Amino acid sequence: MKRAAFRKHLDAFILAVHLFRRCFAQTSTGPHRKKETYLAIENLGLGSLPIISLATGFTGLVMTGEIAWHMDFALSNVSMIPGFTGQFVLRELGVAIPALLMVSKVGASLTAELASMRITEQIDAFRLLKIDVVSYHVYPRWLACIFSTVCLTVISIAITLGIAMFTAVTKYHFNSEEYLNTMTQFINSVDLICAISKAAVFGMIIPPIACAYGLTCDGGAQGVGQATTDAVVACTLSVITLDFVLTAFFSALF
Amino acid sequence: MSIRFENVSKSFGPKKVLDQVSFEVKKGQILFILGKSGMGKSVTLKHLIGVLAPDSGKIFVDHFEVSALHSPQRIDELTLVRQKCGMVFQHPALLDSLTNFENLAFGLRTPQYQKKMGRALTESEIEKRVFDTLKLVHLEKDVLELFPNETSYGVQKRISMARTLAPQPEYLLFDEPTTGLDPLSTSSINSLIYELSRELNVTSIIVSHDMACALSIADEILFLDQGKVLLMAAPKVVAQSKIPLVEEFFKETLSLLPPGWSPSHA
Amino acid sequence: MRNLRNTPLQTLEGLGGAVTGSYQKGYSVIYQQMHELGGACSFLYRIFHSTRKITGYQSAITDQIVAVSTRAMSTIIFAGLFVGAILVLQFESMLRRFDAQSLLGGLNTSATIREIGPLIISFLLAGKVGAYTTAELANMRVTEQIDAIESLGTDSIQYLIIPRFFAIVISSLFLLAIGLAVSVMGSLLVADFFSGMNLYEYILSIPRFVGLWTLFEGFIRCSIFSTIVATVSTYKGYTATGGARGVGKAVTASAIYINVYIVVANFISSSLLEWIHDFLQWVTS
Repeated sequence: MKRAAFRKHLDAFILAVHLFRRCFAQTSTGPHRKKETYLAIENLGLGSLPIISLATGFTGLVMTGEIAWHMDFALSNVSMIPGFTGQFVLRELGVAIPALLMVSKVGASLTAELASMRITEQIDAFRLLKIDVVSYHVYPRWLACIFSTVCLTVISIAITLGIAMFTAVTKYHFNSEEYLNTMTQFINSVDLICAISKAAVFGMIIPPIACAYGLTCDGGAQGVGQATTDAVVACTLSVITLDFVLTAFFSALF
Repeated sequence: MSIRFENVSKSFGPKKVLDQVSFEVKKGQILFILGKSGMGKSVTLKHLIGVLAPDSGKIFVDHFEVSALHSPQRIDELTLVRQKCGMVFQHPALLDSLTNFENLAFGLRTPQYQKKMGRALTESEIEKRVFDTLKLVHLEKDVLELFPNETSYGVQKRISMARTLAPQPEYLLFDEPTTGLDPLSTSSINSLIYELSRELNVTSIIVSHDMACALSIADEILFLDQGKVLLMAAPKVVAQSKIPLVEEFFKETLSLLPPGWSPSHA
Repeated sequence: MRNLRNTPLQTLEGLGGAVTGSYQKGYSVIYQQMHELGGACSFLYRIFHSTRKITGYQSAITDQIVAVSTRAMSTIIFAGLFVGAILVLQFESMLRRFDAQSLLGGLNTSATIREIGPLIISFLLAGKVGAYTTAELANMRVTEQIDAIESLGTDSIQYLIIPRFFAIVISSLFLLAIGLAVSVMGSLLVADFFSGMNLYEYILSIPRFVGLWTLFEGFIRCSIFSTIVATVSTYKGYTATGGARGVGKAVTASAIYINVYIVVANFISSSLLEWIHDFLQWVTS
């Protein structure tokens, strides 16, 4: 039983690597499937926008309070809020929260879609008709996911910073101009580039993993649920691990 | 002692599944509900055991008004009604985390059943009852050790039926009991339904597509179409009906039967 | 593309239609979300209502607790280690600019226990256990197993939902304790190897920030979040419809709703806890 489970995850991992390579190759060889990609951006990206805005907005509120509490407690002044929140949002929170939400929103729905296609034998039908599932189905979603994750990350950073500033101004009596000035002293364009490249990497790995679990699913309705669960966990763990690797890499670089 | 529907209506969204349905089944009768797919046959059964609540109308099982028992306060009475009615589902619906034996014994271990008997059954009593019911559905003891997904669909369906029979309900509701079974199992299940209702005086309601079987063992046949009761009558009357859908059903069935067959042979 | 070359009036009309359409869509989305939230809340009420007269499923709860803990343990240890490592890297580089590295240990540990630990644990629980529970229950629902249980005269809420609900809530606290321990260890390791911190200094700064109240706060938050995980996952599974596709839909919906509710609850709980903390300080002083 244990071995079978290991085998299943290994199969999915190998397939995910394969899917990633296929998608990557298709960016240069084409076809680019613009129409499907636009549609996927609308479904995956725009569909996640309200949820991610809401979640990151609340995160901004909580985070400012937390940081202020810590600062107050440790140094008995709160003048460090702007710099600290700016850095923390741009480097970690503003990237990790959208990525984790994309995993549970986009990753889960990609897996569920492909898994139910597989157990209703639609994938076999595609194969019979010589339609390439990767080229038609996975690739547009992959492109869309990269684009949407990057955009949503930028949007969520903006929202979180905005809300953090609003909280600082209303609750801790900062002057908004002064706040912006202090914040910009601590953050620079390198931070933003790091955030965007992290987001692009997360967007790149979510669809192949999710689709691989969907394509290797079997065993009826229960199989669909199991595949979705596995995919969400695998994506979350990959995001966290890569986050660590990239953070270490960037902090060594700059 | 009967089951009665009074002007029951139910819609799912814009779709009207039951529209002013009324009928009555007496003690010991066998009622077949026939109709095309998706015409509210299974929904009728689910109303009866209170899994679904009607939009309007009343449903009576004995003196209980099932349609009024959906509030949390009266859940105990609903359990009593469910105790009286055993339902065999379209899919086997066996709990796949339990062995076949545990599935069969499930109904015997519930607190409600213990309340009905006045005490908890001992393990040997449960075992005996499980073996007895297993004999009713013509299965051997060796399937009891297995899990449901390790057995064939036909066996699963019989175990599902045995699970319903084990607590000895007064009413039996079958949702397409013979769909997906081979002809031999089909006829043995049909004769089982017949035996139960004649010998043990059990009332049965059977939802089915199988008109031939309906004509041979039913006391009454009810046709549902577009959520309305098209016809409710004894098999003989049904055979002579001039309603288009009923006639079509009957013709289709006759074409499958040997020449010279008539409902009186049953 | 042809639509764009129409007369200005038609374009305007189209634009107006799009605006009203999106307004109506937005309205129906809000209505739907409220409906969803209300459904989950009334389901929670139903769970507590049937808990009061529960008869003899206690052993099922212990079984489920063991199952949930073993299922989530490896994931939580793995993620806890990495989250601790990430946090230490980020905090270290930020504190370096303020020249306040001596606070690293305390800040990091306090943030982990109060805020990030409970959040990450419940996100992972949502993925690993919540989605599994939804899938299991949704599968039972679409194959009519739940109807079968009810038809045999057993309360399906008592038999299926209550053991899973309490198992998730109770084992989340246990998992939080392990996750926090692992995460603090991970931070220590990274602080030692990558950042070249003085470990003695690091550990000494912890008690400055972390006290009993911090732990209390972390565990209270975690139990609130895990209640959300348990409620939404069982609710979504219990009310699933429509075959294999329905199971997939239920799992997807449960994963995303849980995360959003947790983020909102995080805000509410941190405000509430702050008030309580201030109130307690006012009482004691």
